[in-house]
Amino acid sequence: MSETQGVTITKTGQAGAFGGEILTVNFGPHHPSTHGVLRLIVDLDGEQIRGIKPVIGYLHTGIEKQMEALRWQQGVVVTDRHDYLSPPINNLAYALAVEKLMGVEVPPRAQVLRVIMSELTRLSSHLVWMGTSGLELGAMSMLMYCFRERDTILDMNEEISGFRMHTSYIRPGGVFADATPRFLEMLDKFIGTMPGHVDEYENLLTMNPIWRSRTIGIGRLSPEDAKVLGASGPMIRGSGIAWDLRKTMPYSGYETYDFEVATSNDCDCYGRYLVRMKEMRESVKILRQALDRLPDGPVNVDDRKMLPPPREELETSMEAVIHHFKLFTEGYSVPAGDVYVAVESGRGENGCYVVSDGTHKPRRVKFRSASFVNLQALERMALNHMVADMIAIIGTADAVLGDVDR
Amino acid sequence: MIADTLIIDRGVSAGDAWITVPSESVRDALSGLRSEGYRLMTFLTCVDHLADASRGGAPGEGLRPAAAQGGPPPVDDFPKRFEIVYQLRNLESREQLRVRAFIGGDPPKIDSVQDMFPPANWDERETYDLFGIVFNGHPDLTRILMPDDWVGHPLRRDYPVGGETVEFSQEHEKWQTAPEDA
Repeated sequence: MSETQGVTITKTGQAGAFGGEILTVNFGPHHPSTHGVLRLIVDLDGEQIRGIKPVIGYLHTGIEKQMEALRWQQGVVVTDRHDYLSPPINNLAYALAVEKLMGVEVPPRAQVLRVIMSELTRLSSHLVWMGTSGLELGAMSMLMYCFRERDTILDMNEEISGFRMHTSYIRPGGVFADATPRFLEMLDKFIGTMPGHVDEYENLLTMNPIWRSRTIGIGRLSPEDAKVLGASGPMIRGSGIAWDLRKTMPYSGYETYDFEVATSNDCDCYGRYLVRMKEMRESVKILRQALDRLPDGPVNVDDRKMLPPPREELETSMEAVIHHFKLFTEGYSVPAGDVYVAVESGRGENGCYVVSDGTHKPRRVKFRSASFVNLQALERMALNHMVADMIAIIGTADAVLGDVDR
Repeated sequence: MIADTLIIDRGVSAGDAWITVPSESVRDALSGLRSEGYRLMTFLTCVDHLADASRGGAPGEGLRPAAAQGGPPPVDDFPKRFEIVYQLRNLESREQLRVRAFIGGDPPKIDSVQDMFPPANWDERETYDLFGIVFNGHPDLTRILMPDDWVGHPLRRDYPVGGETVEFSQEHEKWQTAPEDA
């Protein structure tokens, strides 16, 4: 579309295929169906899309710059906020990267708690996707059903970390706190009821003729395109490629869980919908296994140079007071080097590239966000579709704009 | 593996394999790696090594602890301060490789690779926007995250954090308005 630097060349005025002229229309950034503040410059021939150019950056908050100004343990709080629908998974990517640079291995109980939180997050992220995408395509009641279950997950977040959304629960060296008995009870109840709820959603949508006609054959992304464009998550699995980082490059002990990678050969919006539905069921399976095997023991590494001492020690041990003071004034330093760690979030490959220069603050933290890369496939998917289909395609690409713009 | 003449340095950092290539032949190196199966570019980014005390020796020779080099590390004498990082992945063998290239100059320039690796298109725009790296041959090298009339490149280490740089602040004209010759 653009031939010269910095100038957007539109096709306005060119002859269209139906006897009319091509018209360039601006969508957003405040359009409710664009999931935040995505702006699109669309060339329309009648109602067909002939060109589409996403304009992003309206939610840029300089998170990577902020990370450089914060100490290693403070950065966790910022990671919560880029992909705001899956904070614990963002925490996990950052924590794993820092731990890898420091050569630290977290205790088994912390590993399992991390898996539990990751899967709960994946469920809540998919539920938000399901509710809002349903809403956009005319299935208004989906929002009520999905947010009902999501609220249970937020209650659990609150129980285990004190926060409903930005939990900062997973941190370098372990997790914030041990699971309470009430949390485990809530989780057990949730695992029991969730498969029934997924059945409910499927009853409403999977064979629903309106839903099917809005999604089948819409937004095709061939397996080759998905690979070349670097798509990840439900975008690549919806195109029939079984690429899931939990299986292909396992982390946090995912290789020991028994679950299937959800794929669909439909390569369209409906395929991506089926993948997310299957993934919700698989997540519940993983949660059940994790809850059954949850071992006893500490949830943090036993390293006073990295994590603060327990509160009760501060009253009896001078050394503990010194460690506490050093940690909260200076922080800890990480050996020089760089590392890239990728984890699977609800949207795809959520990576964290960390460069340390050996000081108590990172030299550079780069978030490789799945939404940013997946959104580049939008033009490929939406070309020659109707405007209304574009809404379905944006919906199933599931881009979170906080994640795109960081 | 690609020709040895294209590799300046190689090593492993925290379990991740990496190589350093000369910045002028980055396209040769990456197209060689691409034909070997590293078809996916996970991400492309830049690291600003302005006054990086952890790096000793001649700039552009990769990561080396300052202690191993002996003598004081160069602080401001770092002509190649920008490190461009390409993270490649082979989807079949699941191997990963990080390719580095060091560049300097004002503006720092390097060849674009977005025709070989489509996801690099937006990554290069982002790197231009936030670091001011010019990618030769990129079809649409414009700002992507910051506003089009923004002055400066925020992720450079000499760009201040916070302060008066907020939009709608009293000095907003100074920060928001492009100079005449921009």
